[in-house]
Amino acid sequence: MTWLSDLPIVTIVTFLPALGALVIAFTPTDRPNMARYLGLGFALAAWVVSLVMLAGFVAGDPAFQFTESVAWIPAFGINYAVGVDGLSIVLVVLTTTLTWISILASFGPIQNRVKEYMISFLVLEVGMIGVFVAMDLFLFYIFWELVLVPMYLLIGIWGGKNRIYATIKFVLYTLVGSLLMLVAILATAYTYQSGHGGSWAGAFDVQALADYAATGAFGGTFGLIAFGAFFLAFAIKVPMFPFHTWLPDAHVEAPTAGSVILAGVLLKLGGYGFIRFALPLFPEAAQSWAPLIIILSLIAIIYGAIVALVQPDLKKLVAYSSVSHMGFVTLGIFVFQEQGMQGAILQMVNHGLITGALFLLVGVIYERTHDRTIAKMGGLGSAVPVYAATFGFFVFASVGLPGLSGFVGEFLTLVGTFVVYPGAAAVATFVMILAAGYLLWMLQRVLFGDLSDFLKGLGGHLTDMKPVEAMTLVPLGVLVVVFGLWPGLILDLIAGSVDSALAAVSQAAPVALGLWR
Amino acid sequence: MTFQDATVLAPFIAAILVALAILTVDFIFPGRKVPALIATFAGLALVAVLVVITGQSTFEAFGGAYDVDPLTTFLDLVFISIVAFTVAFAPDYLEERGLPVPEFAALLVFAMSGAMLLAASGDLLILFLGLELMVLPGYVLAGYHKSDGYSTEGAIKYFLLGSFSSAIFLFGLAFVWGITGTTNIADVAGYMGQVAAGTIPMSPGLGLALAFMTTGVAFKIAAVPFHYWTPDAYQGSPTPVTGYLSVGPKIAAFALIIRLFAQGLQDLAIDWNIVFMVLAALTMTLGNLVALQQDNVKRMLAYSSIAHTGYMLVGFAAYGAGNIAGMEALLFYGAAYAVMNLGAFAVVVALQRRTGVTSNLSTFAGLIRREPSMAWLLTLFLLSLTGIPPTVGFFGKFLVISAAVEVGGALTALAILTVVNAAIAAFYYLRVVVYMFMRDPAGDLPKLRHGRLLWTGLAVSAFLTIVLGLFPNLLLEIVGVAAAAI
Repeated sequence: MTWLSDLPIVTIVTFLPALGALVIAFTPTDRPNMARYLGLGFALAAWVVSLVMLAGFVAGDPAFQFTESVAWIPAFGINYAVGVDGLSIVLVVLTTTLTWISILASFGPIQNRVKEYMISFLVLEVGMIGVFVAMDLFLFYIFWELVLVPMYLLIGIWGGKNRIYATIKFVLYTLVGSLLMLVAILATAYTYQSGHGGSWAGAFDVQALADYAATGAFGGTFGLIAFGAFFLAFAIKVPMFPFHTWLPDAHVEAPTAGSVILAGVLLKLGGYGFIRFALPLFPEAAQSWAPLIIILSLIAIIYGAIVALVQPDLKKLVAYSSVSHMGFVTLGIFVFQEQGMQGAILQMVNHGLITGALFLLVGVIYERTHDRTIAKMGGLGSAVPVYAATFGFFVFASVGLPGLSGFVGEFLTLVGTFVVYPGAAAVATFVMILAAGYLLWMLQRVLFGDLSDFLKGLGGHLTDMKPVEAMTLVPLGVLVVVFGLWPGLILDLIAGSVDSALAAVSQAAPVALGLWR
Repeated sequence: MTFQDATVLAPFIAAILVALAILTVDFIFPGRKVPALIATFAGLALVAVLVVITGQSTFEAFGGAYDVDPLTTFLDLVFISIVAFTVAFAPDYLEERGLPVPEFAALLVFAMSGAMLLAASGDLLILFLGLELMVLPGYVLAGYHKSDGYSTEGAIKYFLLGSFSSAIFLFGLAFVWGITGTTNIADVAGYMGQVAAGTIPMSPGLGLALAFMTTGVAFKIAAVPFHYWTPDAYQGSPTPVTGYLSVGPKIAAFALIIRLFAQGLQDLAIDWNIVFMVLAALTMTLGNLVALQQDNVKRMLAYSSIAHTGYMLVGFAAYGAGNIAGMEALLFYGAAYAVMNLGAFAVVVALQRRTGVTSNLSTFAGLIRREPSMAWLLTLFLLSLTGIPPTVGFFGKFLVISAAVEVGGALTALAILTVVNAAIAAFYYLRVVVYMFMRDPAGDLPKLRHGRLLWTGLAVSAFLTIVLGLFPNLLLEIVGVAAAAI
């Protein structure tokens, strides 16, 4: 597709939602449906463009494709540089897919200040896509922070009872991490600049920095500290234990669509940051830190599962299961092994699809009951069979039933981990039983048995899924099956990225660290 | 005074004449604001044009007592913009309270001429003259609301501590004169060069002079622990004046610091820079911690202006440690802070159009429903003050931090302290956003009408906040030339 390479397609897919936000800003406030359909339209348009980009993408090529670069702040060698490789494009398509689904899912629940809601959502999409396509550290940081503001508004305005507490906690946590990362970005750029005779050219260019890092330039104590700052920012976003405490609050208070995006995309920003920036820039430090990170990942996997087991609230249960599932992502990345990293990336995509769907499903039942307490549910299987079947399907996908996509990611991660650290793999495998425990126990309490008194009291309000709700879930379900049966679809795309990330790390020797090596 | 002296001095003379012209216009059309406002803006435009024309290269007048260089040009343009914004934002507020607009504008232009003199001074005496000419109208402005007790109280506090600190500063200057035998800044710099080289011993008197001058300027920029006058002076003053006081005198005082410390005492940087580093750390941390506890937006902005002084001091400390990028950061931050802080104050001013409206947080509850434009604008300015990209405030912080990180060592620690403070600041800035967007309005207040001038000013400052954040190059180049002139 040669005509594709002439188009700034990455810029188009990134800023199409921004155009949408601008258009919606000029619609009259008293026409909420106009804002709704414009929002959906622009999100769908961005989705289509991202699919076109995917179609034109040459799989297996480790280099960035569709690259664009324009000088932006020459005084610091900062460029507007964007492009996609296999990892980025997978996550971009995940983002555009989940965004239109989330917007569609908001049609019913969001009745208040629809215009602002749609604007926030589209700006959020710009930030998320931007993070995945930025090839310049400064540009990356801009998009990284841009995500914060609309999410802050989404939770704070359209959230639940404790929304203000949750949203401020979310912002402060992420801001502390990302500001320290800013200092590390600058320190890295300066190290590069002073190593290149004071020239700023390339000091924020991810590729140039990675090449320079391969010479061991960012090793030693500097690397350890700078990696630490990057780690903190990404670990808060993932979120890794013990930086996860903002997540349950944010999830519980966020509107359904906010939760979907939070789990589906925002958490992936952290995992993406590790693979794209932290590993190639600080390979030595990454190796030194890896044992600690693996231990934290294992703690997150176990802790998330155990806490999920005792949650009385459906949404909180799904939120804590996220902590557990995302533990697999960081585990898979930091074993520095091919299957492990493939598994981690698959797990990111699958978690986005499955947990996104679970949040949608929790939202569906909340719309009818205005309650999410598991103890008040029961017998939904007979009352709303379609809903129950869908719910069951995604719960099984989350458990990791073979044939569905959740299984492949966790399996590959465990295989990769087993090669390097058999003990860690054993612990993580044990937790899969726990996961089956908390998810199936929840399923049993919610779906089976007699219809609970609380649900009986709702009478006619307890209706089965509406077509719009089904429309949001069907694409996710299809993808879960497709990726479960043909994980190669994704694995082929990301092969180049995985190889180059691992090559960067494997060439480097770890920095001696008195603590645990 | 030769003809050349007169041409170099032209912008300064023009500024004084503009102030007089405003008063004359008021005399001809008594009690009418439109002619006075026209005179003000036309006059400011004229001064700006003259500044740009004379500022094309480096000139000196009166044997080096009055120097014009790119730094002067840059600072002059910042001062002119500050005054223009302040005059644009004030009329609605002043008229509602029966306070005259023309005198307000004239006083600001007088203060501006003082700041211009300060920015161009090549002599310690001119420096002091400029300082006093700049602050005296400020005292009057602080007490502009004569019938308001708080305004008067604030003005008296501001006046007493202001003149006290001027005296301390002057005492330091006297020591310098006594030791070096000159008041010319270039000659003082030559003498200090010899002190630094060891040919002249460092005398106790010189140490005292440094201590007095540092204390004096620390008062003027409201650095912790010399900041106690600010909250009362800021809260008591009429809100448009508070906006002006939080940026105008502050940036002028930084001009003084640059002229005196970065030029006259450059070679003693090793002696004074540690003090500025400590001041920077204390100022931003304490300013933020106290701002955190305020539930009055005006007072919160006052304390946060102390914190912003701290960030600017980080840039200056990086310069003192030998990194020219620190000076660029300071100048950029100063300009950025002027734009975004005046914008934030303008919204508070606009909401206080109706008399009796406090600037308590509760006033802002549910503002998004009552006045969506104002709410979005204030959000933009607050995000910029927090330092969230893509705003000019973010790039200012970016420059300050990058200059500090480049120096390394203790300044890296200062950079980290800066970002920690930025995160603390996020809490109280965003709290206002919480009130505006996420809480229900306390009572049923009708929508206010705002003047076109106010809207124009707000539009310009919002435009600059975003555009200079997205394309900081425009300002960065000017700042680079200005910093290179030192």
